[in-house]
Amino acid sequence: MKLLQQLGKNIAKILIFNGSKEREHFIITDNNNSSQGKETNKEKETGSSNGDGDSKYTGNDKNKVKGTGGKKRKNGRCQIKKPVRVAKSSLSVKEQELKNIEEEIKQKNFDFEELSVNSSLEVNKRYLEIIYSLPKNKDIIIREFYIALEKPLKAFVLFIDGLSNADIINNSILKPLMVLLDEGVKIKHGEVAEYIKEHLLPGHDVKLLNKYRQLLDFVNYGNTAIFIEGSSQCLVVETKGWERRSVGKPEVEQVILGPHEAFNETLRSNTGLIRKALRNENLITEMLKIGSRNRIDVAIMYLEDLANPQLVEEVKKRISSIKTDYVGVAGVLEQFIEDSPFMFSPQILTTERPDRVVSFLVEGHVSIIVDGGPRVLIVPATLFSLMHSAEDYYLRLPYGNFLRVLRIFALFISILTPAAYVSIVNYHQEMIPTELLLSIAASRATVPFPTIFEIFAMEFAFELIREAGVRVPGVIGNTIGIVGALILGQAAVQAGIVSPILIIVIAITGLASFAIPNFSISFGFRGIRFIFTILAAFFGILGISGGLFVLLLSMVNMKSFGVPFLAPVSPKTTTGPDVILRGPVWSMERRVDYLKPLDTRRQPKISRGWLKNPRQGGKK
Amino acid sequence: MKKILVGHWETAAFVIILIGAKAFLGYPRMVTDWGLTAGWLVVLFSGLLSIVFWLFIAGVLARFPGKPLTEITELTFGPFLGLGINIIVFLYLLFSTSNVLRLFSEASTLTVLTETPVNILALLYLLAAWLAAYYGIEAIFRCSYFSFPLISIGVVLVLLLLYPYFDLKMLFPLMGSGMGPVLMSSLWGTSAFSEVVLLTYLVRYFSFNPQRLKNVGVFSISYIMFFFIVIVMVYQMVLPYPTGSETLVPFYQLSRSIFLGHYFQRVEAFFVIFWTFTAFLWIATGLLVGAIILQDTFKLPFYRPLLPALTLLTFTTAFLPEDLIQAIKLEGEIRMVYGWIIAFILPIFVSLVALILRKGEDKVNGSQN
Repeated sequence: MKLLQQLGKNIAKILIFNGSKEREHFIITDNNNSSQGKETNKEKETGSSNGDGDSKYTGNDKNKVKGTGGKKRKNGRCQIKKPVRVAKSSLSVKEQELKNIEEEIKQKNFDFEELSVNSSLEVNKRYLEIIYSLPKNKDIIIREFYIALEKPLKAFVLFIDGLSNADIINNSILKPLMVLLDEGVKIKHGEVAEYIKEHLLPGHDVKLLNKYRQLLDFVNYGNTAIFIEGSSQCLVVETKGWERRSVGKPEVEQVILGPHEAFNETLRSNTGLIRKALRNENLITEMLKIGSRNRIDVAIMYLEDLANPQLVEEVKKRISSIKTDYVGVAGVLEQFIEDSPFMFSPQILTTERPDRVVSFLVEGHVSIIVDGGPRVLIVPATLFSLMHSAEDYYLRLPYGNFLRVLRIFALFISILTPAAYVSIVNYHQEMIPTELLLSIAASRATVPFPTIFEIFAMEFAFELIREAGVRVPGVIGNTIGIVGALILGQAAVQAGIVSPILIIVIAITGLASFAIPNFSISFGFRGIRFIFTILAAFFGILGISGGLFVLLLSMVNMKSFGVPFLAPVSPKTTTGPDVILRGPVWSMERRVDYLKPLDTRRQPKISRGWLKNPRQGGKK
Repeated sequence: MKKILVGHWETAAFVIILIGAKAFLGYPRMVTDWGLTAGWLVVLFSGLLSIVFWLFIAGVLARFPGKPLTEITELTFGPFLGLGINIIVFLYLLFSTSNVLRLFSEASTLTVLTETPVNILALLYLLAAWLAAYYGIEAIFRCSYFSFPLISIGVVLVLLLLYPYFDLKMLFPLMGSGMGPVLMSSLWGTSAFSEVVLLTYLVRYFSFNPQRLKNVGVFSISYIMFFFIVIVMVYQMVLPYPTGSETLVPFYQLSRSIFLGHYFQRVEAFFVIFWTFTAFLWIATGLLVGAIILQDTFKLPFYRPLLPALTLLTFTTAFLPEDLIQAIKLEGEIRMVYGWIIAFILPIFVSLVALILRKGEDKVNGSQN
């Protein structure tokens, strides 16, 4: 009868679901294989590496294990007497923890910044599944394997397909860990990661990290993370290997003489180009991250024994204070850190040439390189540095200065020519020689519109051609430029919409604006040209004068990282002979004073030892 | 608050442009009127006399380091009388700025924009000047320094291009109407250099010491005196006395005379850029210094809120004279003849009283020590 009752109870147990009892788990404690014990020991060793949640969990778990009383030792070995019921198993606590994290993520108050690597491989995997939305996210790869130790140790690698180099992962991570290991080696608990880093991984850049925030930044940038069972530290190996553009030719700042290398979209490649040209151990590359979503790397490069520390601090302060979700390229960062965003002129120099960056670094400037863009920012910038070109220095003195004078003329032509034309034609006809005046009058006789309308119509057409030429791809773009300029201009004249002389005015203005070496400031001058034209239409030469006055005012009032925009002319500061025109290279003895560099002298007074004339940089 | 400081070169350029602006208005004509063919001697003597006045004023300023004249006046005469004297100075500056505005606007109407109403042109000048005054002393001084070489080149170019018309005989008789009238007119001719006194209200913005301020003043007066002498001599060599004493805008008249062949004539409009630039700077300085004097006198924390009211006041005052002739008379017969009393004599009087009473001096020196 009792047997029948017992049988009935057992059947009932099988058939009838008892939630509270079913949630209880069995635990088998074993001295050798107790992962709990290992975990507890490990966490004691790593100390602060684990978060609060982990420590609490371990403590509770330890008490529970102690309280079970289900194990008895005999000859140093654990005898399993019978399965012991506990209130909650360690796994359920972990799961509960993971569920809490999932909840927190859903509620968006998950403290991801402080999350530490767990010693349990399973927990880490779950963390990563949550963080990377696995398995929905298909290019995030978790590859599990066993490290070929005397007692194989479970591990997995995490990397992003397409960003990481598969060959490096196979040959430098998986192969040494899975195949090449010396089986006789004894590794202490808690030292597996250190041992692997020091003895097994041949990668040139291997780091031990314990914070998820740090390691994920690396993984998101093409590196590979190795998680090991029982280790609360994670190995990060440099495995970057995405498709990248090689070092190409400059597209905007072309020169005839001088290097033909330009930056590309890879940060390390760009810093390497600079280092290649400036072989100096004092060249510092500091890294910052900006953008809460794309967390892009920004490198700040400067010469430590030269750049003003206040300038460096100011640059770092401005960049690190940016709070935004996405900064794509240098142009966006420039807008975040420039002093006067509404002014016509840029206050930061942008270049695609490594040699240009180096020439500024040796003056004491600071360069800012944003990952993902082929432009490098240089701060501070002045009007004069924006008007210089790399070629000025590569050419002999007279040729370089000739180009600079030409460029100054180009600057004034690009701003003032349409305005001067409107002003003279409308108000100051007496300035035009009689024959030319008659010619202009004759050519304008058939044009029914006022001069200002003609100017604006043609300027608009010109800008349209330029924009279309840039946007339309390849050969068609060039064709549009030529076709637009020739046919449209000719047609407009023949149709009597504009006068022939106006076409010349607009063409010269356009050419002059192309001669300005800095793309950004050229853009600015294109814009203010319209303002000058309007002023000239209303007030003639007086309007131009007023416009120049306001333009000058705005420029003297601008600053770039604390440096006045018109320095070293206004305010007047000490400088070498390289402002508007440049002097001979041997006379450029001093660096610009407005930067307050740590070393003001570029070269000694006698820079040409082979000469006897001291006035030419030679010996006495 | 950011400390604004300007250097001595910027200051010198500022004073030279401010004083030199007269060359583009009626100054050569006035000097020709005063000294006849010895007009250049009037400039020389009045320049030298101005240097003497300046040295005295700058010497007293050195006893009150970092204190503007408004504050020294108050320290010397007490708050009530001091305030009165400061207000007189402010009103004189307002009158000067308004008249300069009116004259430049009228000159523009006469020369380049003959059909544009003069009040519209005055508005153009005032708006640009307001912006400059809003940007502040640093912007105006730097703007002066940057534009100084360009304006100088423009002036020198005009003078050189007139070379074919030089007639040395026009400078004779050398003593003009005689030494007596020349010396008398040299005394009130010092009004032409009175802008240098504006520096005494801006001392707290200078990055250099009072000794250098003294040198800056002397250098600026000497430099512009030389330019004035050359301009007056060229003016008298090109235009005979009867014509020279009737021209409303002498410098424009000079640039109009340039003829270098068929394709380079009547280029006077080009040179308008240079003299209008000085006009913008003068009017902006008038507004700014006026606002600073009011700020110091009434112990206001900022001067910028005063600018709109001052701009409006300047505009209104500029149109009090009925026409151009009345404005020219005000300039030539009131400001240039009696201006030196307020510009030089009043600060000298304040300085003398400050020296005699030694009020505030110990306090200042003591606080420095």
